[in-house]
Parts: sequence; structure tokens; C-alpha cells
Amino acid sequence: MTTRAVLKHERMALLHDRIQLVLLGLFALICLWASLRGAEYREALEEAATAFETEHLERAADWRARVVAVESGDVAPEDDRFAGLAMDVARPAVAAPGPLADFSHGVTDVHPFTSRVSLWRSVDRLFGNYQFQSPNEIRAGKLDLAFAVLFVMPLLMIALTFGALSRDRDSGRLGLLLSHPVSVRAVVRSKLLVRLGAVFAILVAALLAGLFIGAGGVPGGERLGRFGFWFLAASGYFAFWTGAIYWFVSLNRKSETTAMMMIGFWVLNGLVGPAVLAAAAQLIHPAPSQLAFLSTAREVSNEAYRSRADVMQGMLLDHPELTVENYTIPEYIRVSYLVNETVDRAVEPVLAEFEAVQDRRQSFLSLVQYAAPAALAMRSINEISGTDLARQVRFEGEVRDYKRAIARHVEAKVLAGERLTVAEVDAVPAYAFRESDLGAVGRSVLFPVGYLFGLGLLAAALARRNLARLQTRFREA
Amino acid sequence: MIRAIARKEFVQYWRDGRVVTVFGIVALLGLAATVTGWSAVSSMERERASAVAMDREIWDTQGLKNPHTAAHFSRYAFQPTFNLAVFDPGLTDYVGNAIWLEAHYRDPAALRPVEDAVEIQRIAQLNPAWVIQVFGPLLIFILLYGAVAAERESGTLRQLLAAGVRPVSLLLGKAVSAFSLTGLLVCGVLVGSAIVMGAEGIERLPDTGWRTAGLAALYLVYLAIFVFLALGVSALASRSRTALAGLMGVWIVATVLGPRIGPEVAGALAPAPSAPEFAARLDREGADPFWDASEGAVQRRQRVMDAALAEYGVETVEALPINYDGYLLQASEEFANGVFDTMYAELWGSYESQRAIARGFALVSPTIAAQNVSMALAGTGIHAYRHFADEAEAFRREFVLLLNQEMIDHGGADGYAYVSGNDFWRQNPDFEYAAPGIGEAVRGVWPDVIILVLWLAIAIAMAAAGVRRGFLGEMAA
Repeated sequence: MTTRAVLKHERMALLHDRIQLVLLGLFALICLWASLRGAEYREALEEAATAFETEHLERAADWRARVVAVESGDVAPEDDRFAGLAMDVARPAVAAPGPLADFSHGVTDVHPFTSRVSLWRSVDRLFGNYQFQSPNEIRAGKLDLAFAVLFVMPLLMIALTFGALSRDRDSGRLGLLLSHPVSVRAVVRSKLLVRLGAVFAILVAALLAGLFIGAGGVPGGERLGRFGFWFLAASGYFAFWTGAIYWFVSLNRKSETTAMMMIGFWVLNGLVGPAVLAAAAQLIHPAPSQLAFLSTAREVSNEAYRSRADVMQGMLLDHPELTVENYTIPEYIRVSYLVNETVDRAVEPVLAEFEAVQDRRQSFLSLVQYAAPAALAMRSINEISGTDLARQVRFEGEVRDYKRAIARHVEAKVLAGERLTVAEVDAVPAYAFRESDLGAVGRSVLFPVGYLFGLGLLAAALARRNLARLQTRFREA
Repeated sequence: MIRAIARKEFVQYWRDGRVVTVFGIVALLGLAATVTGWSAVSSMERERASAVAMDREIWDTQGLKNPHTAAHFSRYAFQPTFNLAVFDPGLTDYVGNAIWLEAHYRDPAALRPVEDAVEIQRIAQLNPAWVIQVFGPLLIFILLYGAVAAERESGTLRQLLAAGVRPVSLLLGKAVSAFSLTGLLVCGVLVGSAIVMGAEGIERLPDTGWRTAGLAALYLVYLAIFVFLALGVSALASRSRTALAGLMGVWIVATVLGPRIGPEVAGALAPAPSAPEFAARLDREGADPFWDASEGAVQRRQRVMDAALAEYGVETVEALPINYDGYLLQASEEFANGVFDTMYAELWGSYESQRAIARGFALVSPTIAAQNVSMALAGTGIHAYRHFADEAEAFRREFVLLLNQEMIDHGGADGYAYVSGNDFWRQNPDFEYAAPGIGEAVRGVWPDVIILVLWLAIAIAMAAAGVRRGFLGEMAA
């Protein structure tokens, strides 16, 4: 019997093993479900983002039309006292779903992706009232393609291969097989090649299906580029598990011992590792108290409101040019602006600390993630998909900066109680969220993904050595 | 006889390095989870106590302000994290800690800890309940997969039966040993949690004693299910390898896939309202039909005015002995409250529908039912959250009414210019939350309890079938 014959036999065996076929079918089904639901999820996010942006841009256009009417003389200024009121400038800020949010939902289900940026809101209130998702659903997590690849796929690989060598050995078939001109390494390799090859084929098909289903047709360049990295990361994770399985099989233990070791490894890598790393990151780098942040914002707001006369005085000392006698705009508008500005300034250090803590945690995890490849793969996959926490933190930071930019643009007019002109309205900056460019994403995930391939190769090399020793033992016997 | 068999099994476990290692790892995880839980809960409670005090201080010292303006600034209801959250945090991280009790709007709970968490926490969150739910069954399966099958393979089963050992005694002896060992783990984790739960500063949940006893009973039943399942599978399987493969499949479906697939399918079949859409609807439907310029809103306001004039027997608003602005504001509150009731009933209803569908998956995964009961007993489930949110809303309505009434009664013709001072704010009540007792807490999880009892009955029946077929077949042979 030759290696080719072993391969052929394994193919036939796989095609006639109902349990293995059912398991492969179930995996394909889970992937298909994940792709369909993922596409639906991304579409819902996109629709919500577009609807929000459209609604608020329309409101802004209506508001601009009032300014035009006053400026052109169609409406008397006294008939529309608040047209062009600088304090009323409001613009939407939206982060459209990540290019592969359908592949990996990441943190998108718990964070805001829209904001109505208005000077009436202090920065602690820019993202209000989005916490309506079902807590049970959030807690359970999504069954997306990332979950299928990171958790279900290794289980399937284990189920198909745990008896790859030991079953033949226990039944006495191995000795018979090795009496032919074929090495134990070739036997194991053939078995793994056929069984894991089937898993990989489903993986490739599932990812390609996800690519087209999520795009609703032919995918665009950005999506294709990201998909390339996603595919690489998934392949790296597959390679890592292939190497690990090869090594476990090469230990030549009883089937149940091999199965237990593999499951134990899956548990350590997929459950215990991430849970311990997450707990460690949060214990070592605790986030500032959100409640304290809230209290600070309220205290400052209260204090500024209470001493509004002083706040106004301070403003006029800073900006004597704004000392206008005949305000036509009610006083409370300027007060609100100054109170919010005071709050914004007061909470700035706390917000900076929140961002700094997230940075420290990410740096910590970037180092220790190598201890739990599932965590490493998940972080890479989320980053490629555009659904990672760092992207979210960036969006929230940019929205706060955007509010400051609008404030800078109209501040003088707010304080002077003057209307904005049409030209000034048109010059209000617009917000556009920019995804990280493909090159940066590639550079960021290259090493972690390379590490997965490296681990897989290392484990495979060790397995080869084990099998070579085993071959020698068989020959000696 | 049962005692002798159990003793022999203990000795065997002790000698089996794999069992000792797995038990040690699980025990360590339980310990780490308890310490992590204690650290999280005590820190959340510290922060809450400080925020509550600060909220009162800010409210009392806000100085001269219109009561309705104060109602917009309003106060917060801070959700306590009770002692049993150390053991099972349930939804604690996925629901907000604080609800803003502002006028005109029913806010969702904000400041969800999950938003600050690192993204890999979404894979698995280290807590004592999770350790038992996931690793308890795994440990049992490792202890028992060969309980009968391995004895049969090695030929000792026939010897034992020939020596007059009753099959039931053999089965119970093995059940007692595995159950005692894993029961020890449950008790250890619960006792550990109980010790740290008593730490100063952590608020005690009503009926903590009964709830803890309920949790102990729940997890003992939960583990007993897996003990009898393992014995049944081991007795029915021809080989220990087959038994292990079957049990690993059960473990994966029950503890890993089931709890994720259930809510996922539930979310697909009974989708909760989209969060951005729901928030926008709350805004729109709660305010516009009362305040905008539409005919309906104008008529609504006219009806309010007519009612006020009729109530006080005057012809004009100016002749009213009350502050009409306050009266109108309160009418708008009452209108909005009806809208909020309808919309939140829809939201809670969707959560309930999802839970009912997900519960269907408890028929293949007892872990889902155990999680529901555990969260309910620990006061960290959806009903506990809803109870808090509803209590906070009831308080919000009373509180806003109190402020509007102050304006109505004392504002006279001053309209919005009327202001109250610190003397009035200091008289205003605090939100005092009393969590429900155990009876109310478990009302929503009776179906889960029934499912668990059914599971236990099925598992015992399976073990009995194993005795009949496996053992009697062996005796006949």
C-alpha cells in the first residue's frame, strides 16, 4: 500500500462515515447561518446610520433655509428671531459599520455609532440613549463567522481527528498498514490531510459565501482587501490548530486521552485564556469610575450654572470685543454655551484618562495575547473587520473633537448673540469617519497572524519528530 | 457496598494525575473567579455609594432655579450591585448602572460596564457561576466516561457482577464519588463567595440565605443531571472511547454552543426593536404629538387649557390662580408617560419573547435553564433589571410631578421665571431601591426549574436504561 492508496482510502472512509459527514454539514450550516445573519446585521447598521445621517442633514438643510430666507429678505429678522442662531448648529456624526462587520460583529452591538453633535450638549452627553439592546442577547454574544471560525471550527477539527492514529493502533490495523512501504508519518499526514482538508474547504467556501452575501453582489475594493487579511487570519488560526492537532496525534496516546488533551487545550485556549487575560487586563489597568465621571460632569455643570454671573464675567474679561450692549438673543443661550464649555473642559482630563486606560490595556493585551491564540486571532479579526474597540474609542474621541471644532467656528457669534450668515453656515465643518487604511491594518495584524502560522509550523515540526521516533520504535519492534 | 465502591473510586481519582490536574485547575479558576467577582462588586458598590452622596449634594446646592429646569437637570437612580453578584454577575455588565430621571423622557440605564471592558471579555467572563456551569460538567464527564465502559473493556465489570455486586450499587457508588467531588467544588465556590459577599460595603440582597440555599440546590441538581447522563452514556456505549466522544459532544452542545445559539435564534425569530430607531421613536412620540405645531398637538394643548379653566372656574389663563406653564408641563408629562408605558411594554415584551424562544433550546442545553435560574436567584437577571428600571421610572414620575407641582402651586403668574431655592431642594426625597424578595425573583423562571427537573428525570432514566441494557447484557453473557 502506498501513500496515495492511504489517501484514497481515507477519502472513501470520510465519504462513508455518516457521523463525520453530519459534523461537516453542521459546520457548513453554522457558517451559512452566520453569513446570512451577519449580512442582515450589517445592513441594519448601515440603514440605521444612513437614516440617522439623512434625518439630521435634512434638519440642518431646513435650518439653513431659514437663514437664507432672513438673509435674502424674504423673512423679516424679527419674524424669525432664532434663524441662524449659532448655538443651534447641529450636525450628525456617524461611523458607518466596518467593512467586514458582517464577518465579525466585535463591539458594535454595545457601542454608539451615531451622534447628534450640538452645542446644547456637553461632551458627556454626546452619545445618549442608545442602550436599548436586549441584555440577554448582548451577554450571549453573536453567532458570527468569527465565532464559527474561532470556536466551532477547532471543535470540528478535534472531533474528526482525535482517533487519527490511536484508533488504527488500538484495532491492530496500524501494524498491518506499516508492513507496507508507507511510513507512520505518511499515514497520519494522509488522514489529517483528508479530514482537515474537508474542514478547510468548507471554511474557504463559507468565507467566500460571506464575502458575496454581505456585499449583496460583487464586493468592492476595500471589502476585498480586508477580506484578504481576514482570510489570512482565519487560515493562520486553521494552521495553528492543524499543527496542534498533528502534535497531539503524534503523541500516540489512547484515543480518549488524545481527545481529552485536545479538548483541554481548546478550553484553555478558547475559554480560560481569554477570560483570564481579560480579567488581568482590567485588574491591572482599571478604568476610571464611570459614575465618578458622571458626578464630575454634573457637579461642574451645577457649579457653572450657579455661578453663571462669574462665568459670564470671566468670558467678557477674556473677550472684551464681545461686550455688546443690545443682545437680541436671550441670555440663557450664552449661559448654556458657557456652562457646557466649562463642563467640556472639566471632563477633558477624565476622558483622556479613559482613553489612556484603553491604550494601556491594548498594549498589555498586545503583549500577553500570544498566550491565548484565540484571543489573539479574535483581536486581529475584529481589527480587520473594523469592529474593534480601538476603532470605537477613536470614533468617540473624534466626535468630541468635532464638537470642539464646531464650537471654535461659531463661538464668537454665540457669545455676541449674533446670527450666522449663510456663508458661515456653509463653512461649518462636516464630520466624516475615516477607516484605518488597509496598509496600516495589514501591518498591525501581520505579526500576530504570522505568529499563528509559526506556532502551527513549530507544532508540526515537533509532531514530525515524534512520528519519526515512533517509526523507529515500530521498526525496532 | 455503595460506600466501598465510592471509596475505591476516590482512590482511583487520586491516583489518576489527569483528574487531579483538571480538578486543581477548576478549583483554581473558581478561586480566581471569586476574587475577581469580589473585587468588581466591591469597587462598583464603592463607586455607587460615592455617586449617590454626590448626587444628593449637587441637588441640594443647585441654588436658585426654576423647578422645571431642575427637573431637566434632575437626578440619577443608581443600581446597586448586590452581594450575590459576586457569585453570578449575570447581566450586571450588560445593563447600565444609572438611570437619568429627567423630565419628558424615560431614559435607558446608561454606563454599562461592558462598554469599558476589553473586547476579549466577550468570549468568556471569569465568574464563579460560569466556572461551575462550564467546567462542572466537563469534570464530571472526565471522571465518569469510563465508569462502566472502561470496566467492561477491561473485563472487571463481569467479575464484579459475578462477585454479586448489584448493578444499581455499582452505578450509585460511582455516581456518589463523582457527585461528591464536583459537589465539593460547588460548595467550595459558594462558601468562598459567601465569605467575600459579607465584606463591608457590599449591599445585601433580601433573602440572601434562601437564595444561597437555592443556588446550592440548583447547582447540585445541575451537576446531578450530568452525573446520571455520563453514567447512562458510559453504560450504553460499547467502548469508553465512544462514551467520551458522545459526552464531549453533549458538553459542547450544552455549555458552549447552546447558550449562544439559543439567544441567536431567538433574536432572529423575535427581533427586539432596533436601538437607534427605538430611541428616535421615544423622542418623537413622547414629545411631538404634544408640543409641535400639528393640529393634533394644538388641540391637545387646547384641551389641557380648557380643563384647567374649568377646574378653577375662570375664563382666561391669566385669571388662573396657578402657574399655567407648570400645569401644561405636567400634562405633557402625563401624555408622554402613556407613550413610554406602551413603548417599554413593547421593548420588555420583545425581551420576554426572546427569552421564551431561547428557553426552548434548554431542551438540548440544561445550561441555558440553569443560567436563567441562577441569575434570578442572584438578582442579576432580566427580571431584576426590569424591576429596578420600573421602580426608577415610578420614582421619576413622582419626582417630576413634585417639581412641576412646586411651580404650579407657587409660581403664580411668573411662568418660567419662577425659581425655588436650596431649602426646597433639600426637602426632596431620594430614590431608595428595595430589591424584590426571592418569591418575586423566581416567578419568571419556573419553566426553567421544570426543564431542569425534566432533565434530571431523563438523565436518571438514561442511567437506568444503561443498567438494564449494559449491565444485564453483561450478566447474561
